[in-house]
Amino acid sequence: MERTQPRKRENIFRIFTSSYARSFIRKYKWNYLIGIGILILIDVLQTDVPLIVGDTIDAMEQGFFTADLVRRQIVHLAIIAAVVFLGRIAWRWFIFGSARKIERDMRNDLYGHLQTLSAHFFQDHKAGEIMAYMTSDIEAVRMVFAVTVMMGMDTLAIGISTLYKMITRIDLRLSIVAFIPLILVAVTTTLLGGEMHRRFTKKQEAFSDLSDFVQEKLGGMKVIKAFVQEKKEWENFDRVNRAAQDANIRQAKMAAFMFPFMRMVAGFSMALAIAYGGYIAILGRISVGNFASFVQFLNMLVWPMAAIGRIINIMTQGSASMKRLETILNAKADIVDGPEAVSQGIPEGTVEARDLTFAYPGEDKPVLEHISFRVEKGTTLGIVGRTGSGKTSLVNLMMRVFDPEKGMLFIGGREIHTIPLKDLRAAIGYVPQDNFLFSDTISANIAFGDRSKTQEDVENAAKAACVHDNIVDFADGYDTMVGERGVSLSGGQKQRIAIARALILQPEILILDDSVSAVDTDTEEKILRHLHETRQGKTNILIAHRISTLQDADQIIVIDEGKIAERGNHQQLLEQNGIYADMYHRQLLEKMKREEYAL
Amino acid sequence: MSVKKQDNATVNRHTVRRILRYGKPFIWWFVLVLLIVLVVVRLELLQPAILERATDQYVGKYVDVSTEGISLSALKEMRADDLRGVILMGVEYFVVSIAIMVLTYLQVSILATVGQKIIYNMRTDVFQHLTRLHIGFYNDNPIGRLVTRVTNDCETVNEFFTSVIVNTLSSVFVLVGVMISMLQRQVQLSLAIFTVIPFIVVFTFIFTKVTRKLYRAIRARISELNAFVAEHVSGMKVVQIFTAEKPTMDEFENQNEELRKANIRQLMCFATYSPTSYLLNIVSVGILLAFGGNLVVTGVITAGTLIAFQRYMTRFFDPIQELAENFNVVQSAAAAAERIFWLMDTVPQIQDDPEAVHMDTFQGHIEFKNVWFAYREEEWVLRDVSFEVMPGQRVAFVGATGAGKTTIQNLICRYYDIQKGQILIDGVDVRKIRIEDLRKNIGQMLQDVFLFTGDVKGNIRLNEESITDTDVVEAAKYVNAHPFISHLEGGYDHRVIERGAAFSAGQRQLLSFARTLAFQPSVLILDEATANIDIETEALIQDALGKLMEGRTTIIVAHRLSTIQTADKIIVMHKGEIREEGTHQELLAKGGMYYKLYMLQYEHGIEPVA
Repeated sequence: MERTQPRKRENIFRIFTSSYARSFIRKYKWNYLIGIGILILIDVLQTDVPLIVGDTIDAMEQGFFTADLVRRQIVHLAIIAAVVFLGRIAWRWFIFGSARKIERDMRNDLYGHLQTLSAHFFQDHKAGEIMAYMTSDIEAVRMVFAVTVMMGMDTLAIGISTLYKMITRIDLRLSIVAFIPLILVAVTTTLLGGEMHRRFTKKQEAFSDLSDFVQEKLGGMKVIKAFVQEKKEWENFDRVNRAAQDANIRQAKMAAFMFPFMRMVAGFSMALAIAYGGYIAILGRISVGNFASFVQFLNMLVWPMAAIGRIINIMTQGSASMKRLETILNAKADIVDGPEAVSQGIPEGTVEARDLTFAYPGEDKPVLEHISFRVEKGTTLGIVGRTGSGKTSLVNLMMRVFDPEKGMLFIGGREIHTIPLKDLRAAIGYVPQDNFLFSDTISANIAFGDRSKTQEDVENAAKAACVHDNIVDFADGYDTMVGERGVSLSGGQKQRIAIARALILQPEILILDDSVSAVDTDTEEKILRHLHETRQGKTNILIAHRISTLQDADQIIVIDEGKIAERGNHQQLLEQNGIYADMYHRQLLEKMKREEYAL
Repeated sequence: MSVKKQDNATVNRHTVRRILRYGKPFIWWFVLVLLIVLVVVRLELLQPAILERATDQYVGKYVDVSTEGISLSALKEMRADDLRGVILMGVEYFVVSIAIMVLTYLQVSILATVGQKIIYNMRTDVFQHLTRLHIGFYNDNPIGRLVTRVTNDCETVNEFFTSVIVNTLSSVFVLVGVMISMLQRQVQLSLAIFTVIPFIVVFTFIFTKVTRKLYRAIRARISELNAFVAEHVSGMKVVQIFTAEKPTMDEFENQNEELRKANIRQLMCFATYSPTSYLLNIVSVGILLAFGGNLVVTGVITAGTLIAFQRYMTRFFDPIQELAENFNVVQSAAAAAERIFWLMDTVPQIQDDPEAVHMDTFQGHIEFKNVWFAYREEEWVLRDVSFEVMPGQRVAFVGATGAGKTTIQNLICRYYDIQKGQILIDGVDVRKIRIEDLRKNIGQMLQDVFLFTGDVKGNIRLNEESITDTDVVEAAKYVNAHPFISHLEGGYDHRVIERGAAFSAGQRQLLSFARTLAFQPSVLILDEATANIDIETEALIQDALGKLMEGRTTIIVAHRLSTIQTADKIIVMHKGEIREEGTHQELLAKGGMYYKLYMLQYEHGIEPVA
């Protein structure tokens, strides 16, 4: 499969050509410049130490060695030590500290971008995978901004100054010959660069898979236990774990190559210097002393050259991770405010669909076809229909969780795309089917949509949702922590907290997506009565299976296989004697059965 | 407080020992690597020797002789041997360089491979352990945090094996070697210079103390952040619909900033510690000049010895610097390992009794004898509950939320152990039945149906390969799931994405029935889903349920009238106690709690007893 892909050569410097990465360099350029300045300063300063020692030894040999001289030299050393000490702290702060800031900024950018992406994106990219981006990939990029900058500057400074001395003081031709092996570096990097890039990408992908796997299996642990699948899951885990291991080993073997390779290249340089330098020294073109100095200079370059190997590794990994991150960062937010969106305040509660047809992205078969209805402000719409008939899809479109085509949906008399998303969603209070709650206190969950709400508002909303009494029964009341997915609460309690979360916003349009199903009928009736009383002039949309939930709605539509099959109010629908009437009778039958026993 | 501190120290040493234990199976690889390192060190010493020979024997042989006036060709002829000599030296150097490269590459890749194998083993242990922990554990620990244990934390430990062990050993070798050479040269001066060593030890000790805490904080922050991301990515739809992007972003930025601060604290701590070895290096240069200078002046040593000592000193502090860096990695790895080991030390509360019996199938006789149970100490959820279910009977539990109905189901499957009393299946205490046999024979259907990524088929048979495709289809047909499945794109091979978010509640129920049936349990436990389902699917479910219950002992937390009516026995629970017991008719005739509950509910809707 790899073969068929065009082998695009990956540039290890990609990370510095990416405009996103460059923006960080620009942002922190002063920090980096100061850090690099300090780095070079202490490099230079450190070379003073051998000179001081040399001077002192000279003084000893020449008989000038006095207590006073020693004191002076020691003071000199102390000053150098102090400056170098502070300098080393300082450059770490400036260079490594900036890299940490870049790490933070990138993570914020990534998370901020995720928030703009629609449900469609999260079908392909799950939480486990995104956790991998947030930690492992960002870390790989951070290494570039920290270690590469530091090592690179060091190498560059030492390399250039040494090279300059070699050329000016000794011999140009010898210098050129000695550096011929460096061609190997260029050749190898070009040859292996793509493969290194690929292997690192594979490694990161394997890490993502592992993360995803564990995330999902831990979420389903109860099922795994109920069906005694633990041992089988070990085998499944073994597969992803082994895949991660293999990808890591393949990558590590590649990375293991660069460092010793660079040392070998340095060794080749030395070998050439010995052979060719020795040759011309014997023949008298350079002096023996020059030969010795040249060799010493080269020796000083061994470690910086080896560092290049490490830099290449880090840069390759950083570039591969950067590419992965950029695919996320460049993922187009597909549901955004278009040019036609103009803020005119929060729209009012009229909802109208005009011949609405919709298919999910990438699917041919529409889930909704030719839907038309109009809900006046202040009235209640009931929606019934079989599972999978398209009810939730319909409300998803109203909130633009998915995007309808233009000219099909109107809220507050305005075409839905002309309303800025912020205004649109501010107009809607939604109670989802799955009652997703966050790991936070109950009151924070209720005030989720508007954190400026007071405790009193929170309690009022909870009362309207008939969950106040349950909450005050908890030991910590409103400060009770809700578990990761609200595990410690019953389904009915979760639903009612989710209802309170929507009610507190006093939205123009309230959507209950089958949200009272886990609530007993008594409580349901109370909640509905509250809605009726407190939401005068506001619109309610109720999706339900129980006729009792929506029989008082001003208008009811029955959706079947994506189309409106019947419409009218309760009475009219019963007269139509269709799906609705059938449902009603069946539910009535159930009720009568009970009466039979009761009487 | 002081006791706690001591604990921490032992924990740390213990942690490192435990990490090392993971390296044990690979001990011979580590030995091989060390041998390679020794050979490389030996080869590296060859390089300056070659250089010296080239300079002394060939290049500088006639250093005092002037070549003035000798023609190039004559010179070439005269020194042909020397010319050949330097070229030979060059070649030798070349060969040695290649040998070092090959060996170093071998060493690094062996270590990397071994490191990965260790991580693999560690991850296997962590994951397997996670599956052994009881369900209650998952209620207290966000999944995002646990995922971090398996992924990021294990990754951090890796470095311990790939760099620390070998680097530490080779640094110690070099250090000891240099110290011996110094002592051989001159004892007094050596000892004077060694006086800096206690300072290094003290600094390192302080650094360890501080940095351990800092690294712990970093690990904790990373898992917090991961937990936050995991949860908010799952709940992104809610965030967006409630336009809570801004406050959520603020919260994320806060956590992210806290992580950065934790990292910076560690960075600054190490930044301060790391140059102390340079500081001490300079101090020792001072000692060399002052003390050594006196020795020279008094004629105890020569200036040459002093110069030699200066050379030694750079080679003395390099390994010390290296050790310091390694120390940092050890701390980081130990902090990560600590969290892993903490998890592994969480004792699975529910384990097989050593004398647990093997039971192939159950007759289906279930008995609770004076059972007392609390999730948390002394908060009794069940108080003195006793009842008996005969094989093949259907028993419905009714009562308000929190009455203890679901708890009873959890106890039969032994997700928790009871504090007092006994639960017997076919006369055997559940604690004496192998957990595997117990749960395999009990088909439990949960209210929330969890679907895994994969295909529909895989979600029915899970990992059980003994359940064939035909079995899967049969099970699905039997529970009325077949029609909707065959309507899906790809039918049984239809991809389930995002935990089956695309399936409706009713469809999920039917899938879960098929799953349960495919496993052929002898006892059925059912937490009846509340009326989340349309009337037609509801009919299918009722029908399927009837078929499922046939001939099986069934325990239901019931919400539907029809289910309750057809039960052989109804048990009414109230605040952890059994209030009433009997058939529908009997209980109604009794006019007690059930009657009241029933009348209250029936007034309002179709759902009788929630």
